[in-house]
Amino acid sequence: MTSSEFERSVAVLLTEFSRSGIAELNVLSGDFEIYLSSHAGGTGLRQRSGKQLMVPPRAEQVAHPMAGETSRKPTAIVHEPANFPANARIVTAPNLGTFYRAPKPGAEPYVEVDAMIAEGDEICLIEVMKLFTAVRAEASGRLYAILAEDGSMVEAGQPLFALLDD
Amino acid sequence: MAIKRLFIANRGEIALRIVRAAQALNIETVVAVSDADRESAAAKLADRAIILGPAAAAKSYLDPRLVVHAARETGCDGLHPGYGFLSERAILPRLCAEHGIAFVGPEPDMIDALGDKLRARAMARDAGVPLVPGSDCIATAADARSEAKRIGFPVLIKASAGGGGRGMVIANSADEAEAGFDRATAEAVAAFGDGTLFMERFVPEARHVEVQLMGDGTGKVLHFGERDCSVQRRYQKLIEEAPCVAMGDELRARLHQSAVALAASVNYRNAGTAEFLFDVMRQEFYFIEVNARIQVEHPVSEAISGFDLVQEQIRIAGGAGLSVRQEDLKLAGHAIECRINAEDSRRDFMPSPGRITRWDAPSGDHVRLDSHMSEGAMISPFYDSMIGKLIVHGESRDRAIELMSDALDNFHIEGVPTTIDLHRDIVNHPDFRANRIHTRWLEQVLLPERERNAA
Repeated sequence: MTSSEFERSVAVLLTEFSRSGIAELNVLSGDFEIYLSSHAGGTGLRQRSGKQLMVPPRAEQVAHPMAGETSRKPTAIVHEPANFPANARIVTAPNLGTFYRAPKPGAEPYVEVDAMIAEGDEICLIEVMKLFTAVRAEASGRLYAILAEDGSMVEAGQPLFALLDD
Repeated sequence: MAIKRLFIANRGEIALRIVRAAQALNIETVVAVSDADRESAAAKLADRAIILGPAAAAKSYLDPRLVVHAARETGCDGLHPGYGFLSERAILPRLCAEHGIAFVGPEPDMIDALGDKLRARAMARDAGVPLVPGSDCIATAADARSEAKRIGFPVLIKASAGGGGRGMVIANSADEAEAGFDRATAEAVAAFGDGTLFMERFVPEARHVEVQLMGDGTGKVLHFGERDCSVQRRYQKLIEEAPCVAMGDELRARLHQSAVALAASVNYRNAGTAEFLFDVMRQEFYFIEVNARIQVEHPVSEAISGFDLVQEQIRIAGGAGLSVRQEDLKLAGHAIECRINAEDSRRDFMPSPGRITRWDAPSGDHVRLDSHMSEGAMISPFYDSMIGKLIVHGESRDRAIELMSDALDNFHIEGVPTTIDLHRDIVNHPDFRANRIHTRWLEQVLLPERERNAA
């Protein structure tokens, strides 16, 4: 794995963890270890491993997703993945709705990673009560990462894609 | 059927109030926020906050589809609309019903019926409730002229689709009534999309009195006493009290009976308030409208009854019946509420958003403060300028006035101008203390006096 692939993996891990319902996660892979906690206190996992890396809370405090039937307090999440390249531009959801990567179920997604996207291209749909709105790229670029899960609800301002400017 | 996870489709102090009520009932809470409210008190207290859209209310709180989509996707089985916003738009409970979400409020058809002021008047008439002497729909300027002469001057031309004091034109003569018809029609179409007009007698010295109701949907309706909301500016309430001591006991009992009869006749479900005009000179009350939602000033009724209205709303929405009988409800003492806004009362009440740099709130046994604000919090420019509601409860009106005066003296907010000093001037004014006020008193007496004293 190259260092940029590694960075990308960590970045996606941070994003996916933030939006999962998981309270704490410890990942051990070779001599890499990362401990992620969604609340300031942390718990037992801390005792097991000698080294922990808290996910640095970002400036804005945004409420944290609930896990299934459990309820937890809102905490800071990483709004923009910390390890993306400097020229990465994050496309966010204009409003809440269900995020769809393809024009209809079973069809090819609008865009895939590494695709070159032109300004004005449709890159996804946001659906609200059966009303579909297309999100368009505001500037051209190469798709670096997809940050939301197909068919999941996204909130206004939630990161959907990372694009690299040309 | 009892609600397990409640979606709160509102903001500010009422969102916080509803979250607290739900938590007292061990119900999980999801609160809708716009981008501007992500750090709000309700967002921090709730189990989860969901960002609907950008700050503009039209793109967030006012979009019923965004609201219901969010409620459904977060697994909510109940939704509380608060007050204002979508709370009296029938599309919201209809969408909720389509998606299996219990709406905390009346049935959508009831909201529609009560939102049509002419239909509401007809309901009241059928239930034997006295109406403001007035007309049905007036279709032409000539009708306006003749109806006005029949009712007696001055008259108020009102929009049937209006409410909350909007879309009204006064006429002092038959000529003015005829001329006012076209203007009122145009304004009604522009403001409400419906030019249907009717007319009512205008009572120059009136008090605004309303009755808090709670129905179970089967015809059983409780009342929680009346509120006197006569301190108003441009039809917006500034101070509310419970009870209305200007009304004698016998009249007050008839008022409660009328309000209950009206709500019972339509099998009203959940919280509502029947508003009346009290003609002090004639010692008569007349039905104005029903607000089919919880109101801003509900705390004064909670104070004198010791009963939590919002919790009861949530229970009823979850299928429960009324949790108390009328004979078990004891109303005691006198409560006053001051609505504190971020407005400069000496500069035409200009709303003044900004960050609160000092927050020293009054407290004590007899003091309640319903507020989402704190030191460091922002009053944003996108919504109303409400800072909070200060409520006191004492054994008598005089005692409540003392408590309110003390509480206001001990309320220090810096960073934004507030109406605290105005409220202090009001509650200390001899007219207020002697209870000589009416709905135009603030604008006709106190505010001009204040301006003269400042000059």
